[in-house]
Amino acid sequence: MASGALTRERDVREAYAAHAAELYGFAVRSLADPGLAEEAVQETFLRAWRAGERFDPQIGSLRTWLFAILRNVVIDLGRARSSRPSVAEGGIEPSVEPYDEALLSWQIEEAMRRIGDDHRRVLVETYYRGRPYAEVAEELGVPEGTVKSRVYYGLRALRVVLEEMGYED
Amino acid sequence: MDPKSCREWRESLGAYALGHLADEERVSLEAHLDGCPACRAEAAALGPVASLLPHADPEHFGPAPLPPPELGRRITATIEAERRSKRQHRRLRLGFGLSGAAAAAAAAVLAIFVLSSGESGSPEQHVSFRSLPSGVKIAAALEPQAFGTEIHMYVSGIRSGTLCRVYMRGPSGRDVSAGTFRYRWGGDASAILSAALDLSRAKALVVHAGRRTFVAPLGAGETALEQSQQEEPT
Repeated sequence: MASGALTRERDVREAYAAHAAELYGFAVRSLADPGLAEEAVQETFLRAWRAGERFDPQIGSLRTWLFAILRNVVIDLGRARSSRPSVAEGGIEPSVEPYDEALLSWQIEEAMRRIGDDHRRVLVETYYRGRPYAEVAEELGVPEGTVKSRVYYGLRALRVVLEEMGYED
Repeated sequence: MDPKSCREWRESLGAYALGHLADEERVSLEAHLDGCPACRAEAAALGPVASLLPHADPEHFGPAPLPPPELGRRITATIEAERRSKRQHRRLRLGFGLSGAAAAAAAAVLAIFVLSSGESGSPEQHVSFRSLPSGVKIAAALEPQAFGTEIHMYVSGIRSGTLCRVYMRGPSGRDVSAGTFRYRWGGDASAILSAALDLSRAKALVVHAGRRTFVAPLGAGETALEQSQQEEPT
């Protein structure tokens, strides 16, 4: 049995404590259904445990491995969901594309949650709401130059957080 | 001579990456970038991040939803159940593998498992003790067997080496011993015990851990798992 394998119940409990929140957060984002997301996370840990001996920390982190399993689970769930007659009317094969797009969205949103409030705020106002810097500056009661520099430091922080999360561009 | 320092120029790089700079400012910044490899590198590093922003939805920047607290327990219980049924199958296979004089014994083992699986009308129960001291966790999975009840105990958070005695309380209130185990910190926290009492007749699961006593009432339904805890002087 490889060391670091996820074969004992205690390993699963530890893996759950470390990663369940993130996996669940993403599953909700991806499936847009908390009940289904719970199912997905449960199935992910069961599959991880069943295949526990194949987990090798030398190859990749536990987190990466769990996300890879969740990916398959979510795709399976999406397939099951779209095979129901009411949903399958469009006749479109479920693909991994929506999943990968959802994962990308979730990663950036998670990174946004992790940067400072001030940084996130100016990015939301200037970029997502398209408001003029002067207006945002007045609302926040800071000079316009401060809004501009917060946009810069906000993007930098976002880059650092994404790198920490393992995002590679 | 450049009147602005690199530091000042850099504070515009975010707005530049997002395409927010007015033409005039953009042109003068680009002139600086042409002659400054360090600022150029910084601008290039922000480009990919800026290009990711359209993929995110600001509606989802709020706190992420958390998994319901019982999800973890449910996963552990499912894994435990699967582990046990696997072990039973393994034992069955071992039984088939025997030959000669051992065949009769193997048949007897087989009979026990067939009997026990035939009794699946009263399925296994998962018991989690509530109202425990902070940091202490006690849970059990009970499985009806031909001999009585198989008990899988999980304990954590108590002092390592603590002697735990487990009983099942029968219909008349008499406690039937299920055996003892010692909790070892860091070891596999699961102990397998058995009691000669049918699960369907058991009224409570009692655990004496050191000087403390924990009682989990048992019953037909999940609703019967209202827990109580009592202190005993001995």
